[in-house]
Amino acid sequence: MNQRSSASPLNLRSNTRRRATISLTPLIDVVFILLVFFMLASSFLDWRAIDLQAPATAGSDGGETGALLLRVSRDGGLDLNGRPVEPDRLVASLRRAAEQRQDARLLIQPGAGVAMQRAVDLLDAARRAGIERAQLLRGAGGGG
Amino acid sequence: MKLSRPPKPPEQENVIPLINVVFLLLIFFMLAGKLGQTDPFELTPPDSQSERAPTDRPATVYVGTDGRTALGQEVLSLTALEQAIRGRLENGGADGGGGAVRLKTDRGAEANRVIDVMDTLRRAGVERVTLLTTVRENQ
Repeated sequence: MNQRSSASPLNLRSNTRRRATISLTPLIDVVFILLVFFMLASSFLDWRAIDLQAPATAGSDGGETGALLLRVSRDGGLDLNGRPVEPDRLVASLRRAAEQRQDARLLIQPGAGVAMQRAVDLLDAARRAGIERAQLLRGAGGGG
Repeated sequence: MKLSRPPKPPEQENVIPLINVVFLLLIFFMLAGKLGQTDPFELTPPDSQSERAPTDRPATVYVGTDGRTALGQEVLSLTALEQAIRGRLENGGADGGGGAVRLKTDRGAEANRVIDVMDTLRRAGVERVTLLTTVRENQ
């Protein structure tokens, strides 16, 4: 094996020559497989969190007097404390209502068939209006 | 017309730059992506303007479009879900989540169904429910 490098007492030349012949193909295979794994398995979704206070059920903690009640129906109609509100004036109405009393609470009562996205939009609107304590309230009917 | 003959390909293609690029891609995907458990069924979360990113990773409860509920990877009915959560809380929260639960719902799920699920979680002793949403693209 080292007959050719007999001139060198340390065999250095023969070592470097052999290292150069290591094939890179298996390494590339493994790295490609790892790459494909991480490309498929990793997710880049940017998550956001909304703290939901425990949903109120009628008469659960007695703290519902003086809270604002926002009802939304399936066709998108909104009413705040029984008065109909235009959707694009909702934030202004909420802000006005929130200014009238300290520490306002908002109960959002979705009607039957209201999608979750709509409820999240209303939670967003409540926070834009400066109401920190918004929670979802079980409406009559639907669900189940 | 005389075309020049294409240059003879080198004996061995130089693969080192290829490996460099692939390694860089690999490192990018390893660092930038998040490996998370897959959802038990297909769902598209709602989007919101919330600016708070979820910090901890407690147990996750899923609510699908058709009202299906699941805890982790198991699809459970509402009563089974309540028992499972209660059992988990009595064991001291194996995942360190304490009394917190993350809620991942489909954007088309019925809100009242989600409220039912939240009600169930509260009955089971959960103290904090966090709703997971994605970021809204256009304000």
